[in-house]
Amino acid sequence: MSFPTGITNINNFAPELPVQASEDLLSTPMFNLIHSFGVDLHHAEAYIGKTTRMSRFERLSTDGGQLDGSGIDPASEVPVRTDIDATMEIYAKSIVTNEQVVLYENSKTLTKFTALLGQWVREKEDLLMRDLFASSVSYINATGGTNGDQPSNISLNDVNNIETILLNNDARTMLVSIDAMDKFSTGPTRDAFIALASTALTNDLQKVQGVILKNAYPSQEGLRPEEYCSISRFRFFVSSKGAKTPGISTLGRTVYTIPMYGLEAAAKIEQNNYTAVIGYRPPWVVSSVAQNSQLYAKFAIARAITNQNWISGLNVTTFTPS
Amino acid sequence: MPFTILTGDTFLSDGTAKKILIPSSADYFVATNVTQMPLAPATGVVIRSEWFGPKFGAGATAANDGIRWKKTNSTNALLIDTFATSTASNGFTYVVTNPVVEAQAPNAITAITAASPAVVSQTNTYSDGDIIQFYGTTGMLQISGMNFQISTTSGSGYTLIGLRAAGFAAAATAGFTRRISKYLAVEPQFLYITEITKATQAVVRTSVDPTAYYVVGMKIHFSIPYSFGMIEMNQLTGTIVAVSAANYTLTVDIDSTAFTTFAFPASSASPTAQLFATLAPAGAATKRDPNTYVPTGYDFQFQPFRTGQFVPYLLLSGGAQSPAGAASDRINWIAYKLEN
Repeated sequence: MSFPTGITNINNFAPELPVQASEDLLSTPMFNLIHSFGVDLHHAEAYIGKTTRMSRFERLSTDGGQLDGSGIDPASEVPVRTDIDATMEIYAKSIVTNEQVVLYENSKTLTKFTALLGQWVREKEDLLMRDLFASSVSYINATGGTNGDQPSNISLNDVNNIETILLNNDARTMLVSIDAMDKFSTGPTRDAFIALASTALTNDLQKVQGVILKNAYPSQEGLRPEEYCSISRFRFFVSSKGAKTPGISTLGRTVYTIPMYGLEAAAKIEQNNYTAVIGYRPPWVVSSVAQNSQLYAKFAIARAITNQNWISGLNVTTFTPS
Repeated sequence: MPFTILTGDTFLSDGTAKKILIPSSADYFVATNVTQMPLAPATGVVIRSEWFGPKFGAGATAANDGIRWKKTNSTNALLIDTFATSTASNGFTYVVTNPVVEAQAPNAITAITAASPAVVSQTNTYSDGDIIQFYGTTGMLQISGMNFQISTTSGSGYTLIGLRAAGFAAAATAGFTRRISKYLAVEPQFLYITEITKATQAVVRTSVDPTAYYVVGMKIHFSIPYSFGMIEMNQLTGTIVAVSAANYTLTVDIDSTAFTTFAFPASSASPTAQLFATLAPAGAATKRDPNTYVPTGYDFQFQPFRTGQFVPYLLLSGGAQSPAGAASDRINWIAYKLEN
């Protein structure tokens, strides 16, 4: 307790507006964008339809082929072509701002909202690729965990099983090895396939036998912040938006889907003349009394699984119920 | 903030649920049963129904609810309440995200018979053709987590054409279901396999009608865990040569005559059997006859990878006491949106 002194101070004469704006905005939350890692980028020409076809010749049979000297030609083989098609789709978002926001707030809203729309483009594209992986790929339930659920929590055996599937199908790794160095508590990573997981699985990933957490890689050079660890032949990248389906495990828990793939397993197609666009419509266009302006963002995308042999993955639950 | 009429239309009800795509979201939606409106129908028949969107905050309509306008039995006096009150019926569900679970309360089942096809006992309001996801089953654990399409639906049960369970050791005695969207976020979608024959052209049965997703000429890639027996089929890719909506089957150009017999693993509470057997889209073997110009194996509606289920949409439940009405009811609907 203090006695009044007659001194005018901040306790008896507070400023009219006892706040001030910090020089910088706080960060807008953005989730890890992982679902376009390692997918091929293709481009669709304008003016020739909205469906893009990607074709692959399957390899020829290696059966037979030896000439026996009789002069009889070996049977010829008709090459087989597989066509993968994808439909171009356009997505858009807008922000309409009243002039009074700018007039009274004077906070450079157009600049800030433009940045927000730019973030939306990247996040939306990431989720669209996630949905592709979640909808059009076969996954196998993990069974090597010990949580007693179906699927179980992730284990080394489950990861190795997927590696076997990919290797049996001649899938190629896409991340190069990181050589061992003379540093304590580090270990080399092998050339690796990519695995995409929910951040809800990080606790379980740490406990998988043989896991090398990112900090234990011999070198941190070139690593992405989204990367979490290496298990067997897979480098795991995590996002809070990783695919999941609530409440469908045997014990009623959330099932998380982990796409695991090698080179050329999936593709993203951009439309020529229509990649990401951020535009501005002035007030005299948007509003009859010129009071509202509009910012918008648009982008076109097509997506496809280009080779099912080179992508697989796991359905897992968490060891601790979630 | 005035309301703008966003869009509107009319449809002739077939008694089942109706999806109304809302391209730019909606804040208010009204459906009018113009067939029943001028009549004096039986108590409970809905003649008009309203839905309020998320912008109404605490006043927004809950999932599978809404305002329902009814008439008292054989008079024109109106009764207005909500779909969730007293004698509950199904209302509106606004779906905005994928994966698309049409938010409905879990529904308990009392049995799944070990028969071919399997028959489910459950008090339900589902309709023929709905896709149901099973989980938390007691018995038949090997299908827990799978999706099935239902048919021969009554208020007390339905049939699973896609599950021939005569070989199962025992029936399921309990469990839960929820209805999910027919289409996933992206199509063509992976499908669950429930049976593969041993034949020169293997016949593959799926848990849902595959003709909604695949056509002749498309290629499919098989993922068959060892626990399902027919391991020789695992990771093979085949071309579809025939489809059957009646039997939920696809016939592929893979000779499985000498393969190990396909069979579901035994029901087990311990997760030792790898699940599930599935197939996934692997492109197409499209051809065009250069003389007749007739294409085979190509259909723009099915083949390309594309968005499967557009969101957002409003699901109008079907039935005389629901927004989408009974068979042959004419339903007019209008979607409104608050201006920004």
